[in-house]
Amino acid sequence: MQAKPTALKVLDIASILVLAISTYLALFFAPTELVMGAVQRVFYFHIGTAWVGLLGFILAAGSGIIYLITKDMKWDRFEVAAVEVSTVFFFLTIVLGSIWARPAWNTWWTWDPRLTTAAITELIYIAYFMLRQGIDDPERRARFGAVYTLLGGVSAPVTFMVIRLFRSIHPVVIGAANANQEKMSMTPDMRVAFFFALFAFTVIFIDLIWHRLRLGNMEEKVEQLKLKVSM
Amino acid sequence: MKRSSPSLLKATLAIVQKDLAAEFRSRELISAMLVFSLLVILIFNFALELDIKVRQSVTAGVLWTTFAFAGTLGLNRSMSVEKDRGCIDGLLLAPVDRSAIYFGKAISNLAFMLIVEAIVLPVYSMLYNVNLFRLDLLGVILLGSIGYTAVGTLLSAMAVQTRTRDVLLPILLFPIAVPVLLASVKASNGLLAGAEFAEVLTPLNILIVYDIVFIAVAFMVFDFVVEE
Amino acid sequence: MEPTPDTSVYMIAGFAISFITMGIYVASLYIRNNNILRDIETLESMQTDKPKATKK
Repeated sequence: MQAKPTALKVLDIASILVLAISTYLALFFAPTELVMGAVQRVFYFHIGTAWVGLLGFILAAGSGIIYLITKDMKWDRFEVAAVEVSTVFFFLTIVLGSIWARPAWNTWWTWDPRLTTAAITELIYIAYFMLRQGIDDPERRARFGAVYTLLGGVSAPVTFMVIRLFRSIHPVVIGAANANQEKMSMTPDMRVAFFFALFAFTVIFIDLIWHRLRLGNMEEKVEQLKLKVSM
Repeated sequence: MKRSSPSLLKATLAIVQKDLAAEFRSRELISAMLVFSLLVILIFNFALELDIKVRQSVTAGVLWTTFAFAGTLGLNRSMSVEKDRGCIDGLLLAPVDRSAIYFGKAISNLAFMLIVEAIVLPVYSMLYNVNLFRLDLLGVILLGSIGYTAVGTLLSAMAVQTRTRDVLLPILLFPIAVPVLLASVKASNGLLAGAEFAEVLTPLNILIVYDIVFIAVAFMVFDFVVEE
Repeated sequence: MEPTPDTSVYMIAGFAISFITMGIYVASLYIRNNNILRDIETLESMQTDKPKATKK
């Protein structure tokens, strides 16, 4: 097996480093938020994971389109890697948001547009893996996967728009949520932690996608070897 | 000898005709959807205790849930029939544009859904003493059904080609169809509550946008779903 | 002004879940990686065995 490239090793170490720094900034460097208390510190990770989750979704839809045009399996492997890593991070976003919401809004969950869209997006990701699992032919699996990420990519923004409209009849929830967000004006130190978290999760995201991509390449190799052996 | 392939419109209509003719002979699809819809309404009646007060606020939701469930049933059936009898291979071999197959299947699916809705609506009106026969409401139902079948036809063509095909369609379809269902419920709810037409204009616009966007996307990617 | 509420339990839970989830994912990558390496090894040894078998 080809050895791990040096760049990836460097990236591994960098990921651990930025995660540690980001944790330090979130836990100790940023001041405690006065209204919500310590729990507000999960916000930095919440935003970081949400950002890479969305980024992964867009990248997946993009590579789905490229796959459909070029029919090059490497784009399919990239798409799977992006969706898988994003699913993990998006799951974290939702859980962290929920943990934050409990003390801040006094509920684990509200059917606010952002939360609902996040949940539906996560369900689309899960449906994507169930679709792929049901198909044996790798080429068809890639085609269907690409079509589904494309549909999901078109549908998610529309969902957000509709729910925003739909929920506007219940101004209490939304009003309360917005008021809370309005109150949370960031101090410069908070801003440092905020932007560093975005940066840190981007680095971690690239690192994980790279690893998942290598795994996909090896899976491909196994398939080819199996074919050779059975012939 | 040069044989020109039939035009897109002609081929589409031929497929619709084939589906409708087969359905009118066997009636298995529509009858299944219909009985299922009535059962769903019956279950909602007990589950939600649809007395007059509750009814006003949930009618739109109950109707659209029923249509969505019955719709998946029909979509699944209409595609797996093609697959099982090998019709889809025949269609693919025929010298017609692939998009004719998509439009043909989508239109016949839409027709089945509309027929079921056309029977469910008067029954619901009668059972719960609300008048659902209003032109504006029918328009919303038409737009919603178009969007739902546009995506549903594409996804059911994908679902029947997988191992887990019977359970997969709703899982694939519902998260993608959330906007169309929500906008339909929102618009229907507004109309039933006696809102001005201008008030439901936004969900109506979203419905129209969803329909156009998803018909266009499905039309473009359908080739990839059926190619061998 | 209201005193800042003590919500540090939630904060600890949040960070703990973040690290646990990421840890599980990294572990799953590692396990899958090892399984695949083993598969490749087995398949490659099968491949080198095969020509001998057919020669006989």
